Amino acid sequence: MRIAPLLIAIVVGAALVGAYVALGGTSYEPSPVADPCVARPERPTDASGERIELVLLAAADETACTLGVSREELVLALRSVDELEVLARSEGRSRDELEDALRDGLECAVDEAEEKGLIGGRTATALGFAAERLPLGLLLSALRGASSFLDY
Amino acid sequence: MGVGSRRGLVGLGIGLALADSSVVTLALPDILRRFDVEIPTVAWVLTSYNLVLALAAVPAAYAARRHPTVAFAVGTLVFAGASLVCGLAPSFALLVGGRCVQAVGGALLVCAALDLLTELEGTDARAVRTWAAAGVLGAALGPAIGGILTETLGWESIFLAQVPLALATLVAVRRLPARPVPEPPGRPDLSANLALLLVSGALTAALFLLVLLLVDGWRVAPAAAGLIVTVMPLAAIAMSSQANRVGGSAVRAAAGAILVAGGLCALGVLPGSGWGWTLVPQLLLGAGLGLALWALTERALAGRSPQAVHGGWTIAARHAGVVVGLLLLTPIFTTALDRNEDRALRAGAAAVLDSDIPPLDKLAVAQDVLAAVRAADGEVPDVRGAFDDKPDEPAYATLEERLVSELDRAVTAAFSRPFLLAAGLALLALVPIALSRRQVSV
Repeated sequence: MRIAPLLIAIVVGAALVGAYVALGGTSYEPSPVADPCVARPERPTDASGERIELVLLAAADETACTLGVSREELVLALRSVDELEVLARSEGRSRDELEDALRDGLECAVDEAEEKGLIGGRTATALGFAAERLPLGLLLSALRGASSFLDY
Repeated sequence: MGVGSRRGLVGLGIGLALADSSVVTLALPDILRRFDVEIPTVAWVLTSYNLVLALAAVPAAYAARRHPTVAFAVGTLVFAGASLVCGLAPSFALLVGGRCVQAVGGALLVCAALDLLTELEGTDARAVRTWAAAGVLGAALGPAIGGILTETLGWESIFLAQVPLALATLVAVRRLPARPVPEPPGRPDLSANLALLLVSGALTAALFLLVLLLVDGWRVAPAAAGLIVTVMPLAAIAMSSQANRVGGSAVRAAAGAILVAGGLCALGVLPGSGWGWTLVPQLLLGAGLGLALWALTERALAGRSPQAVHGGWTIAARHAGVVVGLLLLTPIFTTALDRNEDRALRAGAAAVLDSDIPPLDKLAVAQDVLAAVRAADGEVPDVRGAFDDKPDEPAYATLEERLVSELDRAVTAAFSRPFLLAAGLALLALVPIALSRRQVSV
């Protein structure tokens, strides 16, 4: 049996596969999302809307870390209490644990932002009040539209 | 009518019947919409034809050896009639039923054609070469022709166009004397047929998954996708013209299987999205196709008589391989697509949250994208729609491109495992090739 054609076929096939792997073929997949329990690099902000956004994203990180999900999964589930409950259940958490995580996450992020001077006292008070007192459904509505009605 | 014309028409008949195993691949999304059926259901338009062809090939071959001319004519008429039914089918059930009948006619005409070609060519060897070439070309060109017809005239035209072409091949057998082959058939070459089954299963992935990736994954128009996948048959033709220089049939079969595996592995580790990345793997696949299918068909038929019966075994093996490929790889692919959809959603949400668009728009865009994904119902969503009413600003354009890129990554990665598994099928074919020690040179 002539083996030269077999060797050529092996070399050609391996060369192409090797080239594609070297060009990143094995890592060409959706970008991994960041761990919400690991602090993100701080980014400079000017506008008040952006500062509020940073507080809300920090709150999402805190809550997601407590629930054991990614920040992105949490944000996608913010559409309704029902979707949040499905997400919490998938991680073996009850509705009460979910609610506590959300409120604690927001309070913690507000305190931290106030300490850093990212938000003013009035905004911190309003957000703190929302985190502590508002019913869950209303709190979600507030989070979804926070930057539209909260003033720096 | 001259021998050359008759040979060409018989070859056309073989090509038509075997092209039908893959010709509707690019038409499946249109058929799905026309009959409002699920994705696994619409795949039966392909699976039913290949399954019935695999089951009917050997009985059809036994019938064909007694009266090859009559069998060819009857097979062609049944194939043409069923094609008409498929083209005019008012329901999905009738379309699948028509496909089954089409396969029975196809099996009869393809098996009878081998004995007719022996009569026309004068020797078994030349007949086998013409028969195998017509079959390989038909199967490889099928998706391209189907894609162009679907986009220009609609999916129904694929079947309707076959009717006059099939009927035209009947002229080839007019007044053609064909001797019945009385001797009892010998045992089929199990190793060559098993290798054919495995290589055909792998090539199904090459054709079926590649056109799905191009059209449904990367949103290439069906006609363009049809042209892109013609690289494979062109490489097959180029390689087959040089095949005899490569060595004996076992060497050619083994080298072909290795090239097919290499091409499929490369498709399984694509470093980017875009049809350009598929061209070199297609060259390898085409070259492998040109070497392996021809060589294995020759091995399965060499020294065996009657040719039609053993030709029937090769058709059964090849189309059983297509069915195995479809049934094995489709669920793996759909599961991977679901898993990657979730990963893409998370990556997309991260892109939105980290983007520079106004904070108030972030949740709205994220949820518009989520709505687009849910509305797509298992198909690849069009996330660009979420940006239709957004300002024409760089921040939105950047985010849109990032989201499309994440989607492309998810879709491309979803095809990776099925392509790699198909490469495994091609490599597995090396076992029966190695076990078969007979060196045959046709």
